[in-house]
Formats: sequence, structure tokens, C-alpha cells
Amino acid sequence: MAKFHPELDLLTEHAAGNLPLAQAACVSVHLNYCEQCQRTSGQLHSLGAALFDQLHGEPVGESLLNSVLARLDDAVPLSYASTSQWSAGSTPAILQRLMSGDLTDLVWKKITSTLRISYLKTGDPNYEFALYHIKAGGRIPEHTHRGSEMTLVLEGGFSDADGSYHQGDFLLRQPSDVHAPTAVQSEDCICLAVLDAPLKFTGWKYRWMNPFLQLQAG
Amino acid sequence: MQTGLPDNELIPLVIKGDQQAYKVLVERYQSYIFTLAYRLMQSREDAEEVAQDVFVKAYRSLADFKGGSKFSTWIYTIARNCRTDMFRRLQKFDTPLAEEDVFPDQESEEPFALLQGKRSEERVRELMKTLPGDQMRILAKVYMEGKSHAEAAAELDLPLGTVKSRVRLAIQKLQIQIDR
Repeated sequence: MAKFHPELDLLTEHAAGNLPLAQAACVSVHLNYCEQCQRTSGQLHSLGAALFDQLHGEPVGESLLNSVLARLDDAVPLSYASTSQWSAGSTPAILQRLMSGDLTDLVWKKITSTLRISYLKTGDPNYEFALYHIKAGGRIPEHTHRGSEMTLVLEGGFSDADGSYHQGDFLLRQPSDVHAPTAVQSEDCICLAVLDAPLKFTGWKYRWMNPFLQLQAG
Repeated sequence: MQTGLPDNELIPLVIKGDQQAYKVLVERYQSYIFTLAYRLMQSREDAEEVAQDVFVKAYRSLADFKGGSKFSTWIYTIARNCRTDMFRRLQKFDTPLAEEDVFPDQESEEPFALLQGKRSEERVRELMKTLPGDQMRILAKVYMEGKSHAEAAAELDLPLGTVKSRVRLAIQKLQIQIDR
């Protein structure tokens, strides 16, 4: 069961449909693992529905009704198969759609001896949406962030100076946060990371890479 | 067709193929759906297109509506997703995802979850009557106008922290469970 969750303002904006696509997808994957946040999200959605009932509807012309009625008899187009409901514990369907398969089908880019990254395309032009694969016991070099970073643990776990994180745990890091995540010793760790600016390595050994780190958004 | 029939009596007629019954539902909700879309899109033409999509989609999936919530809640979910999709289309997003992947518009299959959802919905509607105006204004900006907390703060000329704390206070009054 997840111990680290999105803050209430993030869940509210998610329920209202206001989060950028890549961030919204990350929060949705967390909901897949967390019944508690699913429940809260459902209630926050009820709040939206109650506000909707209180809207002062603007007058609309007859063209809307006529257009709708004219389209009811259209042939039903090939339906869009949505990834359907959240179901705690199962492989997040939204990730399956983005991966066009499963983890074994992904192309990974080696960054260090213990870290590989696979970039997924959400279509969000402002955010990178990537899977990080850290070998068991492996460490991501100490870094800070030039923007915000959402992290969600999908498999295994990792720890840093602030705590230990396991499957379903959600973290939001701000630019000033510095950390060096280390995967648990017992198994490899796979995380989803959503960034709006590239990482910035702070240790002497990897600082040379900073000018070459670019956001893989889109 | 008796236009005064409640939603839950019209829906079975629509499912049996009675388009006149659906016409009553469209007439009942079109101004709400249009307004929800217009608040975000700020274009009557785009808002009308969203509203059309909402009613066509709702018609095609009405058989999936199990009554676990009010019909207005169900169609609001579809409208929320359609307006977000349209907003992204206008921004030329090339994405394999639809908003319904991010926020499913299908009801739970579990009877207990359906009942729980219905009760919580009724409680939220009842308690919302007790919220003060300043909290309602912020919630309306976030949910109906599609503003982030930061955008709502800028428009209302309030510090971001004040906006966040008013939202939190409202949510506490609505007895929305926040187990953290």
C-alpha cells in the first residue's frame, strides 16, 4: 500500500481536469495503486458534479439540439477503447497504452552503469515522461532539479536521505531539492518520472554531463 | 412525450431507441454542458462542438450508465473529458491518450462502490449549501473554469497559500476523506 501520496491541491486539479497531460497521467497511475487516493479523487469529482448542477446555464440556440439529433443516426465510429477503470494492483493500463506493450518491449538508453531511461511519448510538449530503470543497489548520481519532478515507483523501491519509497509511492520534488536515490538491494527499481526541466547533477564526477541533458518532452 | 419525466425514467426509453426521450434530456442539459465548455474554451463555436460531442458520446454509451450516480454527474464526467480533449486538440497535442484514459468515465462495477459513491455524492451536495461564498468562488474557478490554483489566485488577487487553504477548508467542510 502506497505511503506517499499527491497533495490535496494536486488531486483537486486532477479531478477538475486541469493538470498538464503528462502530470495527470502520472497521478492516474498512482491512483491505480492507491485505493485511498481513488476514494478521495471520486469524492473530489462529486464536488465538481455538484458545482456543475449549480451552473447558471447560458442560453443556447436551436442549432445545438438539431446538430446533436442529426448525429444520433450516424454510423457508430470504431469505438476508442479507453483504458477503463482504475483497478488497484493491476498493471497500469495507461502505461501499457503508452508503451504499446510491456516493459520488455521498451527501448532503454544507458545513462550510467546502473541507470537506464526509456522515454515515452504522451504528446505533452512541456513535460518529459520517462521510465527509469535502476539496478538493484544502484545509485542515481546526486542531482537537483531545474524544475519540478514527479516520481512514482512502479516496481522495487529506492531510498534517499528523506525516506524509503516502494510500489505506488508518489513524490513531487521542487527545484531546490537535492537527492541521490539508491535502489533497494533486493531487486531492480523501475520508476516513472515526469519533468518540466532537465535534472542537474551536482557531484564532480557527473557535472560535465549537465550541458548535454535536455528535456525529452512530447 | 411527457417532457416532465425525471431523468431515470427517460433513460430506459432512450435505451429502447426513443430519440424523442433523448431530445428531452438534451434540452434539459444543453445549456449546462455548453456553459461548462464555454467557461474554458471562451469560444461559442468550440463550446458548441464540445457539447455536440458530449451528447453523441452519452447517447452511444447510455446503456453503460448504471445509476450509481445522478445522470447529471455521469454526463458531467463525459463533458469534463470532452472539453479537455478539445482543449488539447486546439493546442495541437499529438497524443495517443484520451482524457478518459486519464480520468475514466465508466462507473464502478462493484455494487458496494456504487452505493458508497452515491452516498458520498449526496453528502457533498447537501454540505455544499453551507460553504461560504469566498470558498465557492475559488472552487468554481478551479472546476468550472479550468483554472489551476495559481491561476485562480492571480485572478482573484489572492496569495496562492490563501487559495490553497480555502480549498482545503472547503474540502474539510464537505467531509471529503483525506487520509493523510
